Amino acid sequence: MKNNRNLIEMKEIFKHFGTVTALKNVNFNVQNNEIVGLVGDNGAGKSTLIKILTGVFPPDKGEILFEGKKINLSSPKIARDLGIETVHQNLALIDLMSIARNFFLGREPVKNLGGIINILDKDKIENVTEKALKDIGINVRSIDEEVSVLSGGERQSVAIGRAIHFGAKLLVLDEPTAALSIKESQKVLDYVLEARNRGLSVIFITHNIYHVYSVADRFTILEHGEKLGDFRKDEICTEDLIEVIRCGKKIERKVN
Amino acid sequence: MNDEKHFTSFIVKYFRHHPEFGALVGLVIVFIGFSLTATRFLTIDSFSGIVTIASELGIVAAGVTFLMIAGEFDLSVGSVFGFSAMLFAVSAANGIPLLISLILALLAAAGIGFLNGYITVHFQIPSFITTLGAQMLWRGVLLAITGGFSVRYREESTVLAVLNSNLWGEFRTSAIWFFAIILFLNFVLLRTQYGNATYATGGNKEAARILGISVNKVKIINFIICSVLAGLAGCIQFARFGSVDPVRGQGMELEAIAAVVVGGTLMTGGYGNLVGTLLGVLLIGMLRSGLIMAGAPAYWYQAFVGLILIIAVILNTNIKRWSLK
Repeated sequence: MKNNRNLIEMKEIFKHFGTVTALKNVNFNVQNNEIVGLVGDNGAGKSTLIKILTGVFPPDKGEILFEGKKINLSSPKIARDLGIETVHQNLALIDLMSIARNFFLGREPVKNLGGIINILDKDKIENVTEKALKDIGINVRSIDEEVSVLSGGERQSVAIGRAIHFGAKLLVLDEPTAALSIKESQKVLDYVLEARNRGLSVIFITHNIYHVYSVADRFTILEHGEKLGDFRKDEICTEDLIEVIRCGKKIERKVN
Repeated sequence: MNDEKHFTSFIVKYFRHHPEFGALVGLVIVFIGFSLTATRFLTIDSFSGIVTIASELGIVAAGVTFLMIAGEFDLSVGSVFGFSAMLFAVSAANGIPLLISLILALLAAAGIGFLNGYITVHFQIPSFITTLGAQMLWRGVLLAITGGFSVRYREESTVLAVLNSNLWGEFRTSAIWFFAIILFLNFVLLRTQYGNATYATGGNKEAARILGISVNKVKIINFIICSVLAGLAGCIQFARFGSVDPVRGQGMELEAIAAVVVGGTLMTGGYGNLVGTLLGVLLIGMLRSGLIMAGAPAYWYQAFVGLILIIAVILNTNIKRWSLK
Protein backbone atom coordinates (compact mmCIF):
# COMPACT_ATOMS: atom_id res chain seq x y z
CA MET A 1 0.00 0.00 0.00
CA LYS A 2 1.42 3.35 -0.93
CA ASN A 3 0.40 6.57 0.58
CA ASN A 4 -1.14 8.33 -2.38
CA ARG A 5 -2.25 11.39 -0.53
CA ASN A 6 1.22 12.81 -0.79
CA LEU A 7 2.34 14.05 -4.18
CA ILE A 8 5.80 14.71 -2.91
CA GLU A 9 7.52 13.75 0.28
CA MET A 10 10.99 14.86 1.29
CA LYS A 11 12.30 12.95 4.28
CA GLU A 12 15.07 13.91 6.67
CA ILE A 13 16.87 16.12 4.21
CA PHE A 14 20.35 17.36 5.09
CA LYS A 15 22.48 19.70 3.03
CA HIS A 16 25.82 21.29 3.82
CA PHE A 17 27.80 23.84 1.87
CA GLY A 18 31.30 23.54 3.26
CA THR A 19 30.92 24.14 6.97
CA VAL A 20 27.55 25.81 6.63
CA THR A 21 24.57 23.66 7.36
CA ALA A 22 21.88 24.78 4.94
CA LEU A 23 19.29 22.15 5.83
CA LYS A 24 19.11 20.00 8.93
CA ASN A 25 16.75 17.10 9.11
CA VAL A 26 13.94 18.76 7.19
CA ASN A 27 10.76 16.88 6.42
CA PHE A 28 8.58 18.49 3.81
CA ASN A 29 5.57 17.21 1.97
CA VAL A 30 2.94 18.43 -0.43
CA GLN A 31 -0.34 16.66 -0.92
CA ASN A 32 -2.30 16.30 -4.10
CA ASN A 33 -4.21 19.41 -4.99
CA GLU A 34 -2.75 21.43 -2.15
CA ILE A 35 -1.16 24.86 -2.01
CA VAL A 36 1.70 24.95 0.46
CA GLY A 37 3.29 28.22 1.50
CA LEU A 38 6.99 27.76 2.15
CA VAL A 39 7.93 30.68 4.35
CA GLY A 40 10.85 31.86 6.41
CA ASP A 41 13.30 34.72 6.58
CA ASN A 42 16.29 35.18 4.29
CA GLY A 43 18.75 32.34 4.65
CA ALA A 44 16.18 30.03 6.18
CA GLY A 45 16.88 27.35 3.58
CA LYS A 46 13.82 27.78 1.36
CA SER A 47 15.80 28.09 -1.84
CA THR A 48 18.09 25.21 -0.94
CA LEU A 49 15.13 22.96 -0.31
CA ILE A 50 13.53 23.94 -3.60
CA LYS A 51 16.74 23.50 -5.54
CA ILE A 52 16.95 19.95 -4.23
CA LEU A 53 13.34 19.38 -5.21
CA THR A 54 13.88 20.69 -8.74
CA GLY A 55 17.05 18.69 -9.33
CA VAL A 56 19.55 21.55 -9.27
CA PHE A 57 21.69 19.70 -6.70
CA PRO A 58 21.24 16.56 -4.61
CA PRO A 59 20.80 16.44 -0.81
CA ASP A 60 23.66 15.10 1.34
CA LYS A 61 21.26 12.82 3.11
CA GLY A 62 17.56 12.03 2.96
CA GLU A 63 15.15 10.66 0.44
CA ILE A 64 12.50 12.02 -1.86
CA LEU A 65 9.28 10.27 -2.81
CA PHE A 66 7.12 11.37 -5.72
CA GLU A 67 3.66 9.84 -5.90
CA GLY A 68 4.81 7.31 -3.35
CA LYS A 69 7.87 6.19 -5.32
CA LYS A 70 11.42 6.90 -4.37
CA ILE A 71 13.10 9.11 -6.98
CA ASN A 72 16.57 10.35 -7.73
CA LEU A 73 16.41 13.95 -8.91
CA SER A 74 19.80 14.20 -10.55
CA SER A 75 18.94 16.95 -13.05
CA PRO A 76 16.38 19.69 -13.66
CA LYS A 77 15.21 17.78 -16.72
CA ILE A 78 14.26 14.74 -14.64
CA ALA A 79 12.23 16.95 -12.34
CA ARG A 80 10.50 18.52 -15.31
CA ASP A 81 9.73 15.17 -16.89
CA LEU A 82 8.07 14.11 -13.65
CA GLY A 83 5.85 17.17 -13.79
CA ILE A 84 7.64 19.49 -11.40
CA GLU A 85 7.60 22.89 -13.11
CA THR A 86 9.43 25.77 -11.54
CA VAL A 87 8.69 29.41 -12.21
CA HIS A 88 11.98 31.02 -11.28
CA GLN A 89 12.39 34.46 -9.91
CA ASN A 90 14.14 35.38 -13.15
CA LEU A 91 11.41 33.66 -15.13
CA ALA A 92 13.22 31.82 -17.93
CA LEU A 93 11.76 34.01 -20.65
CA ILE A 94 13.69 35.23 -23.68
CA ASP A 95 13.09 38.98 -23.95
CA LEU A 96 13.68 39.29 -27.66
CA MET A 97 11.33 36.46 -28.64
CA SER A 98 7.58 36.63 -29.03
CA ILE A 99 5.21 35.44 -26.32
CA ALA A 100 4.07 32.55 -28.49
CA ARG A 101 7.63 31.43 -29.21
CA ASN A 102 8.52 31.69 -25.55
CA PHE A 103 5.47 29.68 -24.58
CA PHE A 104 6.56 26.68 -26.61
CA LEU A 105 10.31 27.14 -26.37
CA GLY A 106 12.09 23.81 -26.04
CA ARG A 107 8.99 21.78 -26.91
CA GLU A 108 7.74 23.26 -30.15
CA PRO A 109 5.10 21.35 -32.09
CA VAL A 110 6.32 20.54 -35.59
CA LYS A 111 4.81 19.31 -38.80
CA ASN A 112 6.62 17.49 -41.54
CA LEU A 113 7.22 19.25 -44.79
CA GLY A 114 7.39 16.82 -47.70
CA GLY A 115 9.05 14.12 -45.64
CA ILE A 116 12.30 16.07 -45.55
CA ILE A 117 12.29 18.62 -42.81
CA ASN A 118 10.28 19.28 -39.67
CA ILE A 119 9.01 22.82 -39.51
CA LEU A 120 7.37 24.69 -36.66
CA ASP A 121 3.63 24.34 -36.63
CA LYS A 122 3.07 28.08 -36.42
CA ASP A 123 -0.73 27.91 -36.40
CA LYS A 124 -0.71 25.49 -33.53
CA ILE A 125 1.87 27.52 -31.61
CA GLU A 126 -0.20 30.66 -31.98
CA ASN A 127 -3.63 29.14 -31.41
CA VAL A 128 -2.64 27.07 -28.42
CA THR A 129 -0.75 29.92 -26.77
CA GLU A 130 -3.66 32.30 -27.25
CA LYS A 131 -6.19 29.80 -25.94
CA ALA A 132 -4.08 28.55 -23.04
CA LEU A 133 -3.40 32.03 -21.75
CA LYS A 134 -7.02 33.07 -22.14
CA ASP A 135 -8.28 29.93 -20.38
CA ILE A 136 -6.18 30.66 -17.35
CA GLY A 137 -7.43 34.22 -17.41
CA ILE A 138 -4.30 35.88 -18.73
CA ASN A 139 -4.81 38.72 -21.16
CA VAL A 140 -1.96 39.96 -23.28
CA ARG A 141 -2.34 42.41 -26.13
CA SER A 142 -0.89 40.14 -28.74
CA ILE A 143 1.01 36.90 -28.58
CA ASP A 144 3.26 38.20 -31.36
CA GLU A 145 4.61 40.86 -29.04
CA GLU A 146 8.09 40.41 -27.73
CA VAL A 147 8.31 39.55 -24.06
CA SER A 148 10.44 42.64 -23.48
CA VAL A 149 7.39 44.90 -23.90
CA LEU A 150 5.51 43.18 -21.08
CA SER A 151 5.24 44.43 -17.51
CA GLY A 152 6.59 42.40 -14.60
CA GLY A 153 3.15 41.01 -13.86
CA GLU A 154 2.48 40.07 -17.46
CA ARG A 155 5.81 38.29 -17.66
CA GLN A 156 5.01 36.40 -14.47
CA SER A 157 1.64 35.50 -15.96
CA VAL A 158 3.13 34.11 -19.13
CA ALA A 159 5.65 32.05 -17.17
CA ILE A 160 2.97 30.67 -14.83
CA GLY A 161 0.58 30.08 -17.74
CA ARG A 162 3.27 28.11 -19.51
CA ALA A 163 3.96 25.98 -16.44
CA ILE A 164 0.25 25.27 -15.87
CA HIS A 165 -0.39 24.48 -19.51
CA PHE A 166 2.38 21.96 -19.86
CA GLY A 167 0.75 19.56 -17.50
CA ALA A 168 2.80 20.16 -14.41
CA LYS A 169 1.68 18.19 -11.39
CA LEU A 170 3.59 20.40 -9.02
CA LEU A 171 4.07 24.08 -9.64
CA VAL A 172 6.92 25.72 -7.74
CA LEU A 173 6.66 29.49 -7.58
CA ASP A 174 9.71 31.31 -6.27
CA GLU A 175 8.71 34.75 -4.95
CA PRO A 176 6.07 35.21 -7.65
CA THR A 177 4.75 38.47 -6.25
CA ALA A 178 8.03 40.18 -5.43
CA ALA A 179 8.33 43.45 -7.35
CA LEU A 180 4.73 43.36 -8.58
CA SER A 181 2.09 46.04 -8.13
CA ILE A 182 -0.88 45.31 -5.87
CA LYS A 183 -3.16 44.70 -8.84
CA GLU A 184 -0.70 42.43 -10.56
CA SER A 185 -0.02 40.50 -7.36
CA GLN A 186 -3.73 39.83 -7.03
CA LYS A 187 -3.80 38.43 -10.55
CA VAL A 188 -0.90 36.12 -9.82
CA LEU A 189 -2.70 34.90 -6.69
CA ASP A 190 -5.73 34.17 -8.86
CA TYR A 191 -3.61 32.04 -11.17
CA VAL A 192 -2.35 30.09 -8.18
CA LEU A 193 -5.93 29.27 -7.21
CA GLU A 194 -6.70 28.46 -10.82
CA ALA A 195 -3.80 26.01 -10.85
CA ARG A 196 -5.28 24.20 -7.83
CA ASN A 197 -8.70 24.13 -9.50
CA ARG A 198 -7.03 22.29 -12.33
CA GLY A 199 -5.75 19.66 -9.94
CA LEU A 200 -2.19 20.89 -9.54
CA SER A 201 -0.30 21.19 -6.31
CA VAL A 202 1.59 24.40 -5.68
CA ILE A 203 4.58 25.37 -3.56
CA PHE A 204 4.51 29.09 -2.98
CA ILE A 205 7.78 30.52 -1.68
CA THR A 206 7.63 34.05 -0.38
CA HIS A 207 8.42 36.66 2.23
CA ASN A 208 5.02 38.18 1.84
CA ILE A 209 2.88 36.44 4.45
CA TYR A 210 -0.26 38.32 3.44
CA HIS A 211 -0.04 37.14 -0.14
CA VAL A 212 0.62 33.54 0.71
CA TYR A 213 -1.93 33.47 3.51
CA SER A 214 -4.76 34.39 1.16
CA VAL A 215 -4.22 31.36 -1.06
CA ALA A 216 -2.32 28.62 0.79
CA ASP A 217 -3.89 25.62 2.51
CA ARG A 218 -0.91 24.98 4.71
CA PHE A 219 2.35 26.62 5.71
CA THR A 220 5.76 25.17 6.30
CA ILE A 221 8.08 27.46 8.20
CA LEU A 222 11.85 27.17 7.92
CA GLU A 223 14.39 28.92 10.09
CA HIS A 224 18.18 28.52 9.94
CA GLY A 225 17.84 25.31 7.98
CA GLU A 226 15.38 23.69 10.34
CA LYS A 227 11.69 23.27 10.12
CA LEU A 228 9.82 25.22 12.79
CA GLY A 229 6.54 23.63 11.99
CA ASP A 230 3.66 22.89 9.69
CA PHE A 231 0.39 24.69 10.17
CA ARG A 232 -2.90 24.31 8.44
CA LYS A 233 -4.54 27.58 7.65
CA ASP A 234 -7.25 27.07 10.27
CA GLU A 235 -4.58 26.52 12.95
CA ILE A 236 -2.83 29.82 12.65
CA CYS A 237 -3.61 33.43 11.79
CA THR A 238 -1.35 35.77 9.84
CA GLU A 239 -0.15 37.59 12.97
CA ASP A 240 0.95 34.36 14.62
CA LEU A 241 2.62 33.25 11.42
CA ILE A 242 4.62 36.45 11.23
CA GLU A 243 5.41 36.14 14.92
CA VAL A 244 6.84 32.65 14.46
CA ILE A 245 9.02 33.75 11.57
CA ARG A 246 10.13 36.88 13.42
CA CYS A 247 11.02 35.14 16.69
CA GLY A 248 12.41 32.04 15.00
CA LYS A 249 11.03 29.80 17.69
CA LYS A 250 8.97 26.71 17.53
CA ILE A 251 5.68 27.62 19.05
CA GLU A 252 3.92 25.36 21.37
CA ARG A 253 0.50 24.53 20.04
CA LYS A 254 -1.88 26.88 21.70
CA VAL A 255 -4.63 24.99 23.35
CA ASN A 256 -7.83 26.89 23.06
CA MET B 1 -0.38 65.71 -36.21
CA ASN B 2 -2.18 62.54 -35.25
CA ASP B 3 -1.46 61.01 -38.63
CA GLU B 4 2.19 61.71 -38.15
CA LYS B 5 2.14 59.95 -34.81
CA HIS B 6 0.40 56.95 -36.32
CA PHE B 7 2.94 56.84 -39.08
CA THR B 8 5.85 56.93 -36.62
CA SER B 9 4.35 54.21 -34.47
CA PHE B 10 3.73 52.10 -37.55
CA ILE B 11 7.34 52.47 -38.65
CA VAL B 12 8.60 51.67 -35.17
CA LYS B 13 6.35 48.63 -34.87
CA TYR B 14 7.34 47.40 -38.30
CA PHE B 15 10.97 47.84 -37.42
CA ARG B 16 10.62 45.79 -34.27
CA HIS B 17 9.62 42.74 -36.28
CA HIS B 18 11.85 43.47 -39.26
CA PRO B 19 15.50 43.91 -38.35
CA GLU B 20 16.33 44.35 -42.02
CA PHE B 21 14.34 47.57 -42.35
CA GLY B 22 17.27 49.91 -41.71
CA ALA B 23 19.44 48.19 -44.29
CA LEU B 24 16.66 48.47 -46.84
CA VAL B 25 16.44 52.22 -46.32
CA GLY B 26 20.23 52.52 -46.53
CA LEU B 27 20.31 50.50 -49.72
CA VAL B 28 17.69 52.71 -51.37
CA ILE B 29 19.53 55.89 -50.36
CA VAL B 30 22.91 54.63 -51.63
CA PHE B 31 21.26 53.38 -54.81
CA ILE B 32 19.68 56.76 -55.53
CA GLY B 33 22.92 58.52 -54.63
CA PHE B 34 25.02 56.53 -57.10
CA SER B 35 22.34 56.65 -59.77
CA LEU B 36 22.68 60.40 -59.73
CA THR B 37 26.45 60.67 -59.38
CA ALA B 38 28.00 57.67 -61.11
CA THR B 39 27.74 57.29 -64.85
CA ARG B 40 27.28 53.68 -65.95
CA PHE B 41 25.95 52.78 -62.50
CA LEU B 42 22.52 51.94 -63.88
CA THR B 43 23.71 49.19 -66.21
CA ILE B 44 23.46 45.41 -66.18
CA ASP B 45 27.25 45.15 -66.05
CA SER B 46 27.40 47.27 -62.97
CA PHE B 47 24.73 45.23 -61.20
CA SER B 48 26.34 41.94 -62.08
CA GLY B 49 29.61 43.28 -60.69
CA ILE B 50 27.91 44.22 -57.45
CA VAL B 51 26.23 40.83 -57.17
CA THR B 52 29.53 39.02 -57.82
CA ILE B 53 31.26 40.91 -55.01
CA ALA B 54 28.25 40.54 -52.74
CA SER B 55 27.89 36.80 -53.32
CA GLU B 56 31.34 35.82 -52.09
CA LEU B 57 31.24 38.15 -49.10
CA GLY B 58 27.60 37.24 -48.53
CA ILE B 59 28.15 33.52 -48.10
CA VAL B 60 30.66 34.34 -45.35
CA ALA B 61 28.31 36.90 -43.83
CA ALA B 62 25.42 34.41 -43.83
CA GLY B 63 27.38 32.11 -41.53
CA VAL B 64 28.50 35.01 -39.37
CA THR B 65 24.85 36.05 -38.98
CA PHE B 66 23.77 32.61 -37.88
CA LEU B 67 26.52 32.51 -35.28
CA MET B 68 25.97 36.08 -34.12
CA ILE B 69 22.27 35.37 -33.47
CA ALA B 70 23.41 32.55 -31.19
CA GLY B 71 25.45 35.15 -29.33
CA GLU B 72 28.96 34.43 -30.62
CA PHE B 73 31.53 35.94 -32.95
CA ASP B 74 33.88 34.50 -35.51
CA LEU B 75 36.89 36.60 -36.39
CA SER B 76 38.62 33.68 -38.09
CA VAL B 77 36.34 33.48 -41.15
CA GLY B 78 38.81 35.44 -43.30
CA SER B 79 41.60 33.01 -42.45
CA VAL B 80 39.34 30.00 -42.96
CA PHE B 81 38.33 31.51 -46.32
CA GLY B 82 41.97 31.62 -47.38
CA PHE B 83 42.92 28.32 -45.76
CA SER B 84 40.15 26.32 -47.43
CA ALA B 85 40.75 27.95 -50.81
CA MET B 86 44.45 27.13 -50.55
CA LEU B 87 43.79 23.55 -49.49
CA PHE B 88 41.36 23.16 -52.40
CA ALA B 89 43.87 24.61 -54.86
CA VAL B 90 46.88 22.65 -53.63
CA SER B 91 44.92 19.42 -53.53
CA ALA B 92 43.56 19.98 -57.05
CA ALA B 93 46.97 20.98 -58.39
CA ASN B 94 48.32 17.67 -57.04
CA GLY B 95 45.89 15.70 -59.12
CA ILE B 96 43.33 14.82 -56.48
CA PRO B 97 39.83 14.88 -58.04
CA LEU B 98 38.21 18.27 -57.63
CA LEU B 99 35.15 17.04 -55.83
CA ILE B 100 37.28 15.27 -53.24
CA SER B 101 39.51 18.33 -52.95
CA LEU B 102 36.45 20.45 -52.31
CA ILE B 103 35.16 18.07 -49.65
CA LEU B 104 38.59 18.06 -47.99
CA ALA B 105 38.62 21.86 -47.92
CA LEU B 106 35.14 22.01 -46.38
CA LEU B 107 36.00 19.31 -43.82
CA ALA B 108 39.04 21.31 -42.78
CA ALA B 109 36.80 24.36 -42.36
CA ALA B 110 34.33 22.32 -40.32
CA GLY B 111 37.17 21.10 -38.12
CA ILE B 112 38.37 24.64 -37.47
CA GLY B 113 34.78 25.69 -36.68
CA PHE B 114 34.39 22.81 -34.27
CA LEU B 115 37.63 23.74 -32.50
CA ASN B 116 36.54 27.38 -32.23
CA GLY B 117 33.22 26.31 -30.76
CA TYR B 118 34.56 23.64 -28.45
CA ILE B 119 37.26 25.88 -27.00
CA THR B 120 34.85 28.80 -26.56
CA VAL B 121 32.18 26.71 -24.87
CA HIS B 122 34.24 24.36 -22.73
CA PHE B 123 36.89 26.75 -21.48
CA GLN B 124 34.34 29.57 -21.28
CA ILE B 125 36.45 31.99 -23.24
CA PRO B 126 34.89 34.92 -25.13
CA SER B 127 34.64 33.87 -28.77
CA PHE B 128 36.20 37.20 -29.70
CA ILE B 129 39.45 35.92 -28.20
CA THR B 130 39.18 32.31 -29.35
CA THR B 131 38.58 33.29 -32.94
CA LEU B 132 41.10 36.12 -32.90
CA GLY B 133 43.63 33.48 -31.92
CA ALA B 134 42.31 31.16 -34.63
CA GLN B 135 42.53 33.96 -37.17
CA MET B 136 46.23 34.48 -36.47
CA LEU B 137 46.95 30.78 -36.08
CA TRP B 138 45.49 29.63 -39.41
CA ARG B 139 46.75 32.62 -41.34
CA GLY B 140 50.18 31.93 -39.91
CA VAL B 141 50.02 28.26 -40.82
CA LEU B 142 48.91 29.20 -44.32
CA LEU B 143 51.79 31.65 -44.81
CA ALA B 144 54.34 29.29 -43.32
CA ILE B 145 53.34 26.29 -45.42
CA THR B 146 53.09 28.13 -48.72
CA GLY B 147 56.10 30.31 -48.04
CA GLY B 148 54.01 33.20 -49.25
CA PHE B 149 53.64 31.89 -52.80
CA SER B 150 50.33 31.68 -54.58
CA VAL B 151 48.93 28.56 -56.24
CA ARG B 152 47.31 28.38 -59.66
CA TYR B 153 44.92 25.86 -61.14
CA ARG B 154 43.28 26.58 -64.45
CA GLU B 155 41.87 23.30 -65.75
CA GLU B 156 38.32 23.17 -67.04
CA SER B 157 36.05 21.24 -64.69
CA THR B 158 32.41 20.80 -63.83
CA VAL B 159 33.07 21.33 -60.13
CA LEU B 160 34.62 24.73 -60.77
CA ALA B 161 31.86 25.58 -63.24
CA VAL B 162 29.17 24.75 -60.70
CA LEU B 163 30.98 26.67 -57.98
CA ASN B 164 31.52 29.84 -59.94
CA SER B 165 31.17 30.48 -63.67
CA ASN B 166 29.31 32.80 -65.95
CA LEU B 167 25.67 31.92 -66.06
CA TRP B 168 23.92 34.71 -67.84
CA GLY B 169 25.82 37.72 -69.09
CA GLU B 170 28.14 38.62 -66.27
CA PHE B 171 25.93 37.05 -63.63
CA ARG B 172 27.63 34.04 -62.06
CA THR B 173 26.63 30.79 -60.40
CA SER B 174 28.05 32.15 -57.15
CA ALA B 175 24.95 34.36 -56.95
CA ILE B 176 22.75 31.26 -56.94
CA TRP B 177 24.80 29.74 -54.13
CA PHE B 178 24.49 32.98 -52.20
CA PHE B 179 20.73 33.38 -52.60
CA ALA B 180 20.06 29.70 -51.96
CA ILE B 181 22.13 29.74 -48.75
CA ILE B 182 20.44 32.91 -47.53
CA LEU B 183 16.97 31.48 -48.23
CA PHE B 184 17.75 28.14 -46.66
CA LEU B 185 19.31 29.55 -43.51
CA ASN B 186 16.54 32.11 -43.09
CA PHE B 187 14.02 29.31 -43.37
CA VAL B 188 15.85 27.28 -40.74
CA LEU B 189 16.04 30.31 -38.49
CA LEU B 190 12.40 31.34 -38.68
CA ARG B 191 10.59 28.07 -39.23
CA THR B 192 12.38 25.27 -37.39
CA GLN B 193 13.03 24.20 -33.82
CA TYR B 194 16.70 24.66 -34.41
CA GLY B 195 16.14 28.28 -35.41
CA ASN B 196 14.16 28.86 -32.25
CA ALA B 197 16.94 27.29 -30.23
CA THR B 198 19.46 29.59 -31.93
CA TYR B 199 17.49 32.73 -31.08
CA ALA B 200 16.96 31.53 -27.52
CA THR B 201 20.64 30.69 -27.03
CA GLY B 202 21.66 34.17 -28.10
CA GLY B 203 18.78 35.90 -26.35
CA ASN B 204 19.17 34.43 -22.89
CA LYS B 205 21.50 31.51 -22.44
CA GLU B 206 20.45 30.68 -18.89
CA ALA B 207 16.72 30.73 -19.64
CA ALA B 208 17.26 28.61 -22.73
CA ARG B 209 19.17 26.07 -20.66
CA ILE B 210 16.39 25.90 -18.05
CA LEU B 211 13.93 25.24 -20.88
CA GLY B 212 15.93 22.23 -21.99
CA ILE B 213 17.90 23.65 -24.91
CA SER B 214 21.47 22.37 -25.17
CA VAL B 215 22.97 25.80 -25.64
CA ASN B 216 26.54 24.54 -25.92
CA LYS B 217 25.59 22.16 -28.70
CA VAL B 218 23.74 24.91 -30.55
CA LYS B 219 26.78 27.17 -30.30
CA ILE B 220 29.24 24.56 -31.50
CA ILE B 221 27.01 23.64 -34.46
CA ASN B 222 26.69 27.30 -35.40
CA PHE B 223 30.47 27.75 -35.21
CA ILE B 224 30.78 24.84 -37.62
CA ILE B 225 28.14 26.24 -40.00
CA CYS B 226 29.87 29.61 -39.96
CA SER B 227 33.27 28.12 -40.66
CA VAL B 228 32.09 25.77 -43.43
CA LEU B 229 30.38 28.66 -45.22
CA ALA B 230 33.58 30.71 -44.99
CA GLY B 231 35.47 27.78 -46.48
CA LEU B 232 32.89 27.35 -49.23
CA ALA B 233 33.10 31.03 -50.09
CA GLY B 234 36.87 30.70 -50.34
CA CYS B 235 36.54 27.80 -52.76
CA ILE B 236 33.95 29.73 -54.76
CA GLN B 237 36.26 32.70 -55.09
CA PHE B 238 39.11 30.42 -56.09
CA ALA B 239 36.89 29.03 -58.86
CA ARG B 240 36.50 32.57 -60.18
CA PHE B 241 40.19 33.56 -60.13
CA GLY B 242 41.83 30.19 -60.78
CA SER B 243 44.48 31.11 -58.27
CA VAL B 244 44.83 31.75 -54.58
CA ASP B 245 47.44 33.56 -52.53
CA PRO B 246 48.09 33.10 -48.82
CA VAL B 247 46.64 36.47 -47.79
CA ARG B 248 43.32 35.76 -49.50
CA GLY B 249 40.37 36.71 -47.31
CA GLN B 250 42.37 38.97 -45.03
CA GLY B 251 40.10 41.61 -43.51
CA MET B 252 37.04 39.78 -44.74
CA GLU B 253 35.86 38.98 -41.21
CA LEU B 254 35.37 42.65 -40.45
CA GLU B 255 33.62 43.33 -43.74
CA ALA B 256 31.31 40.40 -43.05
CA ILE B 257 30.56 41.57 -39.51
CA ALA B 258 29.90 45.07 -40.87
CA ALA B 259 27.41 43.69 -43.39
CA VAL B 260 25.66 41.61 -40.73
CA VAL B 261 25.38 44.49 -38.30
CA VAL B 262 24.20 46.91 -41.01
CA GLY B 263 21.57 44.25 -41.74
CA GLY B 264 20.13 44.73 -38.26
CA THR B 265 21.46 41.71 -36.39
CA LEU B 266 22.38 42.58 -32.80
CA MET B 267 26.03 42.01 -31.84
CA THR B 268 24.76 40.79 -28.48
CA GLY B 269 22.74 38.01 -30.08
CA GLY B 270 19.14 36.89 -30.08
CA TYR B 271 17.89 39.21 -32.78
CA GLY B 272 18.34 39.49 -36.53
CA ASN B 273 17.81 37.58 -39.74
CA LEU B 274 19.43 36.78 -43.06
CA VAL B 275 17.34 39.04 -45.24
CA GLY B 276 19.03 41.91 -43.39
CA THR B 277 22.41 40.39 -44.12
CA LEU B 278 21.49 40.04 -47.80
CA LEU B 279 20.68 43.74 -47.91
CA GLY B 280 23.75 44.67 -45.87
CA VAL B 281 26.02 42.74 -48.21
CA LEU B 282 24.42 44.30 -51.31
CA LEU B 283 24.88 47.70 -49.71
CA ILE B 284 28.58 47.05 -49.19
CA GLY B 285 28.96 45.62 -52.71
CA MET B 286 27.19 48.65 -54.13
CA LEU B 287 29.48 51.01 -52.22
CA ARG B 288 32.56 49.29 -53.55
CA SER B 289 31.49 49.40 -57.21
CA GLY B 290 29.65 52.69 -56.98
CA LEU B 291 32.55 54.63 -55.50
CA ILE B 292 34.86 53.44 -58.22
CA MET B 293 32.33 54.33 -60.90
CA ALA B 294 31.76 57.72 -59.31
CA GLY B 295 35.49 58.28 -59.78
CA ALA B 296 36.42 58.28 -56.09
CA PRO B 297 39.85 56.85 -55.25
CA ALA B 298 39.54 53.24 -54.06
CA TYR B 299 40.69 54.21 -50.58
CA TRP B 300 37.40 55.93 -49.90
CA TYR B 301 35.61 52.62 -49.93
CA GLN B 302 36.84 51.63 -46.47
CA ALA B 303 36.00 55.04 -45.04
CA PHE B 304 32.46 54.83 -46.37
CA VAL B 305 31.89 51.33 -45.05
CA GLY B 306 33.06 52.54 -41.65
CA LEU B 307 30.75 55.51 -41.74
CA ILE B 308 27.73 53.46 -42.80
CA LEU B 309 28.48 50.87 -40.15
CA ILE B 310 28.43 53.46 -37.39
CA ILE B 311 25.27 55.14 -38.67
CA ALA B 312 23.56 51.77 -39.03
CA VAL B 313 24.41 50.69 -35.49
CA ILE B 314 23.24 54.00 -34.03
CA LEU B 315 19.94 53.70 -35.88
CA ASN B 316 19.43 50.01 -35.26
CA THR B 317 20.04 50.06 -31.52
CA ASN B 318 18.14 53.27 -30.93
CA ILE B 319 15.09 52.46 -33.00
CA LYS B 320 15.01 49.15 -31.17
CA ARG B 321 15.10 51.01 -27.87
CA TRP B 322 12.38 53.48 -28.93
CA SER B 323 10.20 50.68 -30.18
CA LEU B 324 10.29 49.06 -26.76
CA LYS B 325 9.06 52.14 -24.97
